Amino acid sequence: MVSSVRVSPVAQASLHAAVWPAHTLASTALRVLPTGEALLDAQLPGGGWPLGALIEVLQPPAVHSEWRLLLPALARSGTGLVVLVGAESVPFAPALQAQGLQAHRLLRIDTHSPDACLWATEQALRCAAVDAVLAWLPQARSAQLRRLHLAAASHGKLLFVMRAQASLQDASPAPLRLLVQPSMASDALAVQVCKRRGPPLDGVLTLAARGAGLATVLAAGHAYVLDRAA
Amino acid sequence: MLMYWIALRSRTAVTDVSAVEAQVSVDPVDPVDPVLALAWQVLQFSAQVARVDDAVVVEASASERLFGGRAALLARVLQACQHAAGVLTYAQGPTSLVALGRLWADLPQAAPDDLPLQVLQAAHSHVPTLLLLGCRTWGQLRALPRGGVARRFGSGLVDALDRAYGVRPECYPWVTLAPVFDASLELPSAVESAPALLFGARRLLDQLQWWLQARQLGVLALELVWQLDARRSNATHVDAHHNGSSEGRLVWRTAEATRDIAHVQRLLAELLAGVRLPAPVLQLHLRSVQTQALSGVSGSLLVQDVRAGDALHQMVERLVARLGPQRVLCVRPCADHVPERMQRWAPFQGKHSALDGRDSHTPGKPWIHSDALYPTWLLARPEPLVVLSDCPQYQGSLTLLAGPQRLETGWLEGLPVLRDYFIARSPQAGLVWVYRERLQKDRADWYLHGLFS
Repeated sequence: MVSSVRVSPVAQASLHAAVWPAHTLASTALRVLPTGEALLDAQLPGGGWPLGALIEVLQPPAVHSEWRLLLPALARSGTGLVVLVGAESVPFAPALQAQGLQAHRLLRIDTHSPDACLWATEQALRCAAVDAVLAWLPQARSAQLRRLHLAAASHGKLLFVMRAQASLQDASPAPLRLLVQPSMASDALAVQVCKRRGPPLDGVLTLAARGAGLATVLAAGHAYVLDRAA
Repeated sequence: MLMYWIALRSRTAVTDVSAVEAQVSVDPVDPVDPVLALAWQVLQFSAQVARVDDAVVVEASASERLFGGRAALLARVLQACQHAAGVLTYAQGPTSLVALGRLWADLPQAAPDDLPLQVLQAAHSHVPTLLLLGCRTWGQLRALPRGGVARRFGSGLVDALDRAYGVRPECYPWVTLAPVFDASLELPSAVESAPALLFGARRLLDQLQWWLQARQLGVLALELVWQLDARRSNATHVDAHHNGSSEGRLVWRTAEATRDIAHVQRLLAELLAGVRLPAPVLQLHLRSVQTQALSGVSGSLLVQDVRAGDALHQMVERLVARLGPQRVLCVRPCADHVPERMQRWAPFQGKHSALDGRDSHTPGKPWIHSDALYPTWLLARPEPLVVLSDCPQYQGSLTLLAGPQRLETGWLEGLPVLRDYFIARSPQAGLVWVYRERLQKDRADWYLHGLFS
């Protein structure tokens, strides 16, 4: 038999910030940065990306949707550096600048050895002039991620770690884990919140797969193709 | 004008008067000498600083007004010296000999006449004779007939008494600071591996820190030279740090003048990790190659402006020291139509290129077509695609969605580029950016060049 427990607002307010009722999102004490997607903001504790916490973005192999998810927030994150550690290919600065991330904010650390990546990520987190760190760490272990999480927490930095979908099975110290993949049914980006400080979220959040400009061109391209077929 | 002398002595140095009488000989060029460190520290308050045995005397009457009176000056001196030398004893006096006498006799308030003869340096050798005469204090010695004392004990004792009572001027070999820091250290045992050199270098760096503080400088470049053991030296060994002679050297620099020895030491540790020693090392030299006057740090009035953490140049220097300059990159825009030449990832150039948009954009105009239709990822080199029945394949056959965007450029540089760019959809990888090379008339080559999010 399930009895519903009512928590009066007064009792809830007197709770410590780290304690929250299981049916609500945590009222995080961390500062947050809006993600730029109202749908996603509504499902994240505090209403955005937490500053000073490890955020894990998991993707299937050969999918590179991280910029789509992170760019709106990074564009508004301030004027400090955005450090990219161990990215697999070269970020194309003209495209990033067109979407709001100024090119002179980028600092790319082009190393692929796992140890060097971890070390460089931690160094970047400690630097005062850095706003956000994006690290591609496919081989990181849980203890190493925990260390990065603590470094991000002590300096209040935005830290995204990109990993493969397969590591979803492994335990992770990240307070927020997202699985991002292109939606099979429709032309959209499916975001699944795998772990958050709040009740589990079963459904999939469907975001527009691309910006308005590109979508318009693609629609026009379809029309053009159809035209020729006709 | 009334003189004001302060005598200072570190408790960790010699403590009892008997040891002072034994004339502990301290090598004046010993690089890790606590008395010298103390003297360097006091130099910020007055130019007239001298070392006498285990103590430091400073004449500070000219600095009293600047530091807000005698009491405030003394408090500042003691605070600075405690930082340098730990527990201190001190005494003041109108002449250096009175100050020293009060310090050594441990009678800070004694009148000069009451000071015992043992603490007058010039009287050391005559103390037994004078005691037999019944002469115990400076006042009793001074009461003796001047001519007789000069004949019996030499003029040195009379001169010293004159100086102690301020009748004659006092002059010392004043402590000065060399314009270039250059210190050496004999290692207690031969060091075989380069990272272990850090322990010796750390002592030299501590010394450097005092020197920098006293000269109010920040260091920009340093040189560490190590002497190899000649008996076991491999004379033919040549690499970035060894030129075949019996010594090796390492020069490292930092972008902004710093007095932060911890940062300098971390850089040195990273660099030493890459050094291979051909023979054991016996001796280390540390020399300042380039220094710069260091202005004070200006604080911010607003709390939120202050961000905790390392400075940008410190982080970049650490990364460069471990990973190499070719791995820490920032982007430079170039005015070109070919996508791979629109951006140039160049080694990070310190503070001038970062966070200063106008400056970094000066080499060329930003981007000609800065619209959102470019992919966010670019492949380092275009990847040739397999074509099956006129359809390019990348993780399944591609569907062309938009295009062609025709590109004809590069003929002026002799590298003509003729490409038709398409946005295509791959069943597995989502949207991709592919192009068809148009140079060959007979066959069409397809390349993958970018990935959309």
